[in-house]
Amino acid sequence: MILEARDVEVAIAGTPILEGADLTLEAGRLVAIVGPNGAGKSTFVRAAAGIQKMQSGSVQWLGTDVRKLRGRKLAQIRAYVPQRPRVPDGMTAREALRIGRSAQLGPLRRATKADHAAVDEALERAGVGHFAERRLTTLSGGELQRVQIAVGLAQGAPTLIADEPTSHLDLGATVIVARLLRRLADDGLAVLLVVHDLALAAAVADTVVVMSKGRSVATGPPDDVLRRERIAEVWEVDAALRRGERGETALSVDWIGERIRLP
Amino acid sequence: MLARKSAVVLVAAAALVAGAAASLAFGAVDVPFRTVLDALVSGGGADATPFERIVMQLRLPRTVEAAVVGAALGVAGALLQGALANPLASPDVIGVTGGAGFGALLIILIFPGSIALVPVGALFFGLLAATLVFAIAWAGPGGGSVGRLILAGIAMGSLFSGAMAGMMAAFPNRVPSAIFFLAGGLTTSGWGTLRSIAPYFVVGFVIAICLIRPLDRLALGDDVAASLGTRPRFIRLTAGIGAALLAAASAAIAGLLGFLGLVIPHVVRLAAGTSSHGFVIPVSALAGSALLVAGDTLARVARAPIEMPVGPLMVAIGVPLFLWLLRRSV
Repeated sequence: MILEARDVEVAIAGTPILEGADLTLEAGRLVAIVGPNGAGKSTFVRAAAGIQKMQSGSVQWLGTDVRKLRGRKLAQIRAYVPQRPRVPDGMTAREALRIGRSAQLGPLRRATKADHAAVDEALERAGVGHFAERRLTTLSGGELQRVQIAVGLAQGAPTLIADEPTSHLDLGATVIVARLLRRLADDGLAVLLVVHDLALAAAVADTVVVMSKGRSVATGPPDDVLRRERIAEVWEVDAALRRGERGETALSVDWIGERIRLP
Repeated sequence: MLARKSAVVLVAAAALVAGAAASLAFGAVDVPFRTVLDALVSGGGADATPFERIVMQLRLPRTVEAAVVGAALGVAGALLQGALANPLASPDVIGVTGGAGFGALLIILIFPGSIALVPVGALFFGLLAATLVFAIAWAGPGGGSVGRLILAGIAMGSLFSGAMAGMMAAFPNRVPSAIFFLAGGLTTSGWGTLRSIAPYFVVGFVIAICLIRPLDRLALGDDVAASLGTRPRFIRLTAGIGAALLAAASAAIAGLLGFLGLVIPHVVRLAAGTSSHGFVIPVSALAGSALLVAGDTLARVARAPIEMPVGPLMVAIGVPLFLWLLRRSV
């Protein structure tokens, strides 16, 4: 078990955001966290990543409490790819990956040949090697997202956490990112993904965690968890997940019917 | 890319060497370069000629002061622009310039008998202003954000500027003696001031070196920095302290030259085409040194034997260079 989070509670400026969320993550698995806006998905993964302080509950990485892990140690266990990263002027993709790789370096240590090789490998794995020398400001949204994932890979951690990496991408770019994340999990990485698109979650995830109003309300294989009744309960929409023979997925939604009101 | 960076380093280093040579040789009296070299080699001992004594006891300390202050202001600007992710950041933004100006004016206008305390006043109030800014910006929930820091700095800067204007209005007949400090300029005063201010520069430069990698991480945003094991708020505070030390110590020696802190890191970034702090911080130091040493020499020789304050001259050289680079950059 790489990550185990239990009963995580977070309040920001006195307002409770998370009121009991659970999650486990293993190597080679992809866990997708889904839920409506404001359900606490991002806060949950930030708390799990050790970036957001929690009020109570426990987060353990490889059996050690996250609050006891110092910055660099934690950086070597998990990489966190934020929802809206800053895109600095005058920095190439390769330079960004080198900064990511610095998680493996001691203070004031210089990068070695092995570090440069690790950067090259991360560029290749994320499929961004051909624009390594381009400036970040010249990349498209999809390209930029893959570079951000590559920065996380360069960090050299066995876990990758990505917060809504596809939420502003077109269909083609979304598919590329989805395939990339699935391939990384198949290669042995533990991947934790926050995502809105239920069809995408069902297609790539081994396990889906549904969050609603600050709690994790269901966890399990996508087809078991993303049932019509639960979607109605959590999103208040009549929608059903359909899976084709080749594993393709679709969400069939009653877009303009009556909004479901549960008692 | 590499060639462009090397060229920038080379030009700045050459300018520093040429500027330093001119600074040692030219002034109210011109000393031949040969004699300058002899003086530097012999160390200007007891049997030194008058020329050698001028070089070693008057011009060398001043040249070193100019080099150190230029480097300090360049680095202070680079630290703040990196830590606040804001191209407008300079020592003005964290209140140091306003505080230092107030401290110096307090001595010059109200206690003119203790004029030797001007550097102390500038240093003390410069650091006090920065401390107040950090205390306000870090207090309470959401403390340590860039917006809070900049707003607190601007408010504190206005407070001290207002106090300065008030003092000048109260003692108008003493204002002329403050002009040199306000405009920014070096004086020929031997090693004494530099020696007593040196520890502040040393701490500031050491902080800057330690922050090179954290600032690179911060360039990718607070979340990526946190993912990489760096605490963004801590880095911003440390960078602010380093910049405050460097800028207040600079003001103690050379008056208000905050403009250099704003412009030099931009010139370095635009000219070299990189914003990597491993390059920008050391080369800002080099370029700042070169610019201030050259500027101070010009300020001394332009209307010799009358010395001009170097600040307006720096602006006159710096702004066109800056605007040209800005126009050229994509």
